[in-house]
Amino acid sequence: MQLTSQIQVLSIRQSVKVSVVIIGLLASSIVSSRALATESKTASERFALPGSGEVPSFQKHVTPLLGRLGCNGRSCHGSFQGRGDFRLSLFGYDFKADHEALMAENTGRVDIDDVEESLILAKPIDADMHEGGKRMEKDGWQYNVLRAWISAGAKFDASEVEQLEDLVVTPNEIRFTNANEHVQLKVVAHWADGSSEDVTELCRFSSNDDAVAAIDESGHVTSGETGDTHVVVYYDNAVVPIAALRPIATPRESQQLVNAKPIDVAVAQKLDKLGIIPSPVCSDEDFIRRVSLDVTGTLPSPDEVRAFVTDSSSDKRAHYIDVLLERPTYAAWWATRFSDWTGNNEAELNNVLPGRNIASKLWYEWLRERLAKNVPYDEIVEGIVVAKSRDGNEDYGAYCDAMSEACRPGGEKSFAQRDGMPLYWARRNFRQPTERAIGFAYTFLGVRIECAQCHKHPFDQWSKNDFDEFSKLFTPIKMNQGAAAKEDKSEEREMLASLGVSASTKGNLLRKKLAESLLEGKTVPFGELMVDTVTATQRAKAQVAQAKKKGKKVNLRVPTGKILGDDSEVELNQDPRMALMRWLRSPDNPYFAKAVVNRVWANYFGIGIVDPTDDMNLANPPSNSSLLDYLANGLMDHDFDLKWLHREITTSETYQRSAEVNETNRLDRRNFSRHVPRRYPAEVVHDAVLMATLSDEQADHVAETLEGMAITDALSIYGAGKGSVFALDVFGRSTRESNCDCDRSDSPSLLQSVYLRNDVDIHRRLADRSGWVTESCKKLGIAPEVSGVDKAKEESNKRIGRQKQFFEARIKEFNNLPPKRQEQMRSKLMAQYEKFSTQLAADGETLLPLAEMLKNPDQPSIDATLVEPTDMSTLKTEPINVIVEDAYLRTLSRFPNQEEMQTSLAFFDESQSKGEAVKSLLWALLNTKEFIISH
Amino acid sequence: MRFHTTCDGFRRRDMLKAGCIGFGGLTLSQYARLTHAGQVNSNRAQRAIFIELPGGPSHLDTFDLKPGAPDNIRGTFKPISTNVAGIQISEHLPKLAAVADKFAILRGVSHTLAAHQLGREYVNTGSRPIPSLEYPSYGAVLSKERPGEDDIPSQVAVPKAGHGPGFLGIRYASLETNSMPQFGQPYAVRGLSLSPGIGVDEVQKRQQLLEKLDRRFAEFEEVGGLVDGLDRFGEQAYSMITSPRARKAFDISQEPVSFAKLFGEDPFAQSCLMALRLVESGVGLVSVQLGGWDTHADNFTKLKDTQLPKLDAGLSGLLAGLEMRGMLETTAVLVTGEFGRTPKINDRSAEGGRDHYPRCMFMLMAGGGVRGGQVIGESDDTAAGPRNEAITPDDVAASFYWNLGIDPTIEYQTNTGRPITLVRDGKVIQQLFS
Repeated sequence: MQLTSQIQVLSIRQSVKVSVVIIGLLASSIVSSRALATESKTASERFALPGSGEVPSFQKHVTPLLGRLGCNGRSCHGSFQGRGDFRLSLFGYDFKADHEALMAENTGRVDIDDVEESLILAKPIDADMHEGGKRMEKDGWQYNVLRAWISAGAKFDASEVEQLEDLVVTPNEIRFTNANEHVQLKVVAHWADGSSEDVTELCRFSSNDDAVAAIDESGHVTSGETGDTHVVVYYDNAVVPIAALRPIATPRESQQLVNAKPIDVAVAQKLDKLGIIPSPVCSDEDFIRRVSLDVTGTLPSPDEVRAFVTDSSSDKRAHYIDVLLERPTYAAWWATRFSDWTGNNEAELNNVLPGRNIASKLWYEWLRERLAKNVPYDEIVEGIVVAKSRDGNEDYGAYCDAMSEACRPGGEKSFAQRDGMPLYWARRNFRQPTERAIGFAYTFLGVRIECAQCHKHPFDQWSKNDFDEFSKLFTPIKMNQGAAAKEDKSEEREMLASLGVSASTKGNLLRKKLAESLLEGKTVPFGELMVDTVTATQRAKAQVAQAKKKGKKVNLRVPTGKILGDDSEVELNQDPRMALMRWLRSPDNPYFAKAVVNRVWANYFGIGIVDPTDDMNLANPPSNSSLLDYLANGLMDHDFDLKWLHREITTSETYQRSAEVNETNRLDRRNFSRHVPRRYPAEVVHDAVLMATLSDEQADHVAETLEGMAITDALSIYGAGKGSVFALDVFGRSTRESNCDCDRSDSPSLLQSVYLRNDVDIHRRLADRSGWVTESCKKLGIAPEVSGVDKAKEESNKRIGRQKQFFEARIKEFNNLPPKRQEQMRSKLMAQYEKFSTQLAADGETLLPLAEMLKNPDQPSIDATLVEPTDMSTLKTEPINVIVEDAYLRTLSRFPNQEEMQTSLAFFDESQSKGEAVKSLLWALLNTKEFIISH
Repeated sequence: MRFHTTCDGFRRRDMLKAGCIGFGGLTLSQYARLTHAGQVNSNRAQRAIFIELPGGPSHLDTFDLKPGAPDNIRGTFKPISTNVAGIQISEHLPKLAAVADKFAILRGVSHTLAAHQLGREYVNTGSRPIPSLEYPSYGAVLSKERPGEDDIPSQVAVPKAGHGPGFLGIRYASLETNSMPQFGQPYAVRGLSLSPGIGVDEVQKRQQLLEKLDRRFAEFEEVGGLVDGLDRFGEQAYSMITSPRARKAFDISQEPVSFAKLFGEDPFAQSCLMALRLVESGVGLVSVQLGGWDTHADNFTKLKDTQLPKLDAGLSGLLAGLEMRGMLETTAVLVTGEFGRTPKINDRSAEGGRDHYPRCMFMLMAGGGVRGGQVIGESDDTAAGPRNEAITPDDVAASFYWNLGIDPTIEYQTNTGRPITLVRDGKVIQQLFS
């Protein structure tokens, strides 16, 4: 107990940043007062006195201690340029390099002959001499560790790096009840040789949310606000997260949920621990809108909503989900998402195929086809990972025939029938083995390994060596436009010759020529993906031959690479992608299924079970691991059936919860106790505006053909600049360029509000001849051409715009004239005013009085709306009722309540032009928060 | 809170901060006393222009040259004199050299985050990023403290914002133009002008209807500020659409050609011109980005041919323009990248490049109470670190806020009630204002 209280005192002092040195002092003083434990002693106990006899190990004690003292941090010797010419590997674990740096000759860092003079002892105890300040006390236990290691010869044998079998942290979960409670962690390392020791004082610690649980550098945890998070322990290559939570309300006994779905059970267990009461299930109207937008990226039609809310069958929600999963919009929307995750970006595929904006379309269609057929996820991935350019026994000519067809307009359908999707390997930002290692891990594993490219991954087990070995696997894969196998070169030349392309034609000129020939229906040559396993063998043979010359005997050694987290070597004299694929779909793979499950989950909840969704690492554990495990295992048990996953999630109560909050769950975002509103994705917003403004007939047509929908990717030309769609950029569709799920943004912005209110896109849709406003006007008995913007009207509007600009400029000029000159010019101005005014009258517009324009030149000079000859007598209340109802159903997927109906009817009553009123009502509904926020 | 982990290890609570002792600055009360005694310039800026140079510009080749350093550090650029005796900058910044009296150079600014994203978060907020919380950008804070009027955005980012409003909530996010203005061309933010055939009356009527119908989330309390933010954007969008003020402010073609030419003709320079017009019209903070500084390879060619001419023209035009319009005293300017670059030239390309280097960098400040024509701080012989005490991004943030009349020690609450000091560790740099 004494130990705890002393450390508590310490933690308070540390909050005002007491140096770590004090721990050493205190810790060593603790030893005397603490009864010797029977278990393994702590480091400070074992090294309390100099010459304790134990020789510290470089790996187990010295390196972690340097980490704990902060020596190998980014700001100190862990910096890539070192400090004071002394550089350590960032976050340790490059034992060999670190040992060499310490032992470098003539640096005096380690002096075996004059131990006390070693700089690694002398520097950190002297605040004046050491830029990094005082890191430890002379003769403290840390000092003793370093001294004892040096005295024993400062040894390290690179071949004897020991395997850390397990790092056991107690307690393995922390449950607080109040603020300002304290828990001390204890960490025991278990080594492969069977030995174990208390390493608490050699670990680094961090908290994922220090507002909930703060942890200090000695592993002492203090509770704060209610909520749940993890504290993380780092030692050797191990990273261990420990759940820490403080309930929001009194924890509840786990209830026996009858017939509950496994998702709901897993979520309830966590909520009960936290004392959170979940929100009830949402209304039918909320449900149909939510599930339709989430599963298919598309609004339900007004008729669907009507039918759904009046349907009284008990399984109607599950049934509706089944219907949605069979829709073409389901495959289209998810092909968009898989395009995000696989990095389908036209700009990066530039020049891969003859012609622009083809490759991205082929990629998308290949995915869409498979999602529509519900091909198992692992098979889709296989088609990408082990993709070959040629199908089956295709020879080069047949391959070029097929690809030529694929690249012609509409050819994507034929491409989608091909086995492989090699374009994944052809991207410009996916050529280097290191880029591929990073991109591959991002796409298929949901893991960010880029940190390990330069140093030990700070939050995961990966070392730089792991990264290097993994990267090597990607070296044999070649794919670029010109790549053709040696044996096909002659055929390629012949093909070019027959097209009349000279051998000297290269680059853009060649591509242009090929694109033209394609459209003429001719077959053009294509490059293809090649696996260069020959070089690997040849290189090895060359080495043997070289060695022979020098009279040495060397065994043939084929270059190898390694799969992440797997020690066995993959020889690069065969296509390494087979081994990669085997590993991906193996039931033991810790990431593959979880990555896709987590991303799909995030699509439905706005936040992943692991968040961010592409950053699964040991220090960033899932908020609910049994939930993630259940879904990942379930997906594998169901042979990677994606529709099973969608169905499992969307039929759960957890998914169907209302957005209403109660006292216990109002701050919850990560435990799924309620629906958390979010702004819909760019493509979905675009398409919702489209569907809401189209006439019923047009909307049905679009829902069937998907024409003009952003979820089809038809509009989404990536990085193409000119062809890109403004709305999609403003609403933050994925840029698909940096191996990051954050390439997509779901934040609202001022410009988005401006867009929905006043962009020419919106005005055009509202006024469209084939739009709903026009259709409704017909129903109301108003002449349709009045509300539609016809060609002539558009022309006259343009003309008016020009005249208006001109006249407003004249007014300003006039205002700037000296008074005398104004008098002279006044009559001329008035004449111009009259002329303009008459012209406008012909167009049905009125101009502001001249005096007012002169007084306030910045005010728009035309203050009029479209003049519509409306015959009030044809209007009846009943049809307007129906129009209002329809407007609500097509935008918000619900009926208006009484108040809303009254407001709308009153608006119609007050409006001079009923056509304008229809337009205004639809405009207003498109601009409600309810339209773009999920609920 | 969404947060991407990167290699810098910021998840670790870095209690063992080495070597970085706070810059010898002033507490607020000390400062107030000095101001009162007339020892520091008490001019305060009303508005701000933040120029971000993402990618991390080399300090050694711009504002912190080391002509005496060895070849593999010095590089090929030579220093030139400026219009302030004793201050030298790169030969490829001649226009800035001619207006050096208008800005202060901060050298030996230092931090430890060598990844782009983290570094940018740091210099865009003045607080070292932490995992559980996102700090607000300068513009977001200014919007909160000085909301301004509805028909002009309180902050504008050209073309994109380097950082968001963080825990202050979405309503304080800036208007992003998504594009840059072209020389001599009219510029309009799409959607700000009324289409022909739609009058202000009509818009007003629609707006009134919308307000009556948009009730669904009226009582809704949302953690991320989503609903609140949308309400705010809606009000602002309406005001801006129905008033000519914002439209005019964005339209650089309304400037006389002679004035526009001061700035140079590339989009960055014209963005600086737009920033001036926007600030003049009442925008609180305009941020302008000039990217392309991540010169791992071909450092010198890229700087000489592209980067420095753009920066030189745009920034010198801005400073001169602000002065001509009498706005320099009311406009605080801050120019920064996310870090400097390695003193040692790497061998990744024929002529070499420089890599990320947060331990030593430069920043520029001007306007408001800042005394131009001075160098503050100093780097060591090889520009590898501060010679004496380091200036931190926190100090610069504190000074920038101070210049704007905002107390950098002001305390905010997150939506969970957690108290957060605006600038945790920074101290106002007295010398800037003396």
